[in-house]
Amino acid sequence: MAERIKDAEDRLLESLFESAPVVDDGFSVNIVRKINRRLWVRRLTLPTAALIGGAIAFKPLAGLTAALSNLSVLIPQDLISGAASSIPQLQTVVLGAILLAVGLFSVRMLEE
Amino acid sequence: MTASEDRDLVARAVSGQDTAAFGELVRRHQSHVRNFLRKLAGDYTLADDLAQDCFMHAWDKLQTYSGRGSFIGWLLKVAYTTFLQSKRKSKRYAEILESAGRVADQESRSTVLPADEITDLDKFLSVLTEEERAIMVMSYACGLSHREIGDATDMPIGTVKSVIFRGKEKIRNSFDIKDHQHG
Repeated sequence: MAERIKDAEDRLLESLFESAPVVDDGFSVNIVRKINRRLWVRRLTLPTAALIGGAIAFKPLAGLTAALSNLSVLIPQDLISGAASSIPQLQTVVLGAILLAVGLFSVRMLEE
Repeated sequence: MTASEDRDLVARAVSGQDTAAFGELVRRHQSHVRNFLRKLAGDYTLADDLAQDCFMHAWDKLQTYSGRGSFIGWLLKVAYTTFLQSKRKSKRYAEILESAGRVADQESRSTVLPADEITDLDKFLSVLTEEERAIMVMSYACGLSHREIGDATDMPIGTVKSVIFRGKEKIRNSFDIKDHQHG
């Protein structure tokens, strides 16, 4: 209140508005606990969602891959031999997804 | 409890997501924030819930604190915004304030209280509008400067001064504080 000159009325009002300090009694600890909990929830949300999504998508993806391999008889042999080397195997896809999830999780941890 | 210590704690909390540093800030300022909200809301439990929300919002917005004014001024701005948002959302708030205001208003209109009986600050504050109450509490209970109050309420300093002047006049007219002063 440096910018204003206090008169008697101001001092009286200050004394009227004055109240005893509120005891912390665990208030600040509660806030910190809440924030820590929220930080952990945020950290775990993305990797958990990626894992759940991966688990849900695994079976249909495996079925799709099997169906596509059955269709491969319709494709000319010389095309298959050329493209086969560039199509990733199912194990590679799953491994890649896991690595991606771990990578994202690590980046998030480093950021925070 | 210096301003530079506050700024250091804010820097630590923002740069390293240091919750312990923020905890220290909460410990330092919780009393002012809770007292401010208690006077504004007139309900201790509600005020303490709002204070929790206020500190959670403060954590989210901590990087917006520029370090120009005092940290408590910035914190009271967050508290006041939290109070206004909550009031808008909650019907319960309106009912509590309306009933408290009506009772106190009737009492203040019917009698000018003898100086010795001016002990209930809630009655005292009830003659003021919500905006006047917030500004008067910031000024006289929390000790903020007019500039800090202006920052906290998004008002020009001139308006802050006139609200304080009006508030003082209302209090003077409703309660004979001169008697209180001398008595």
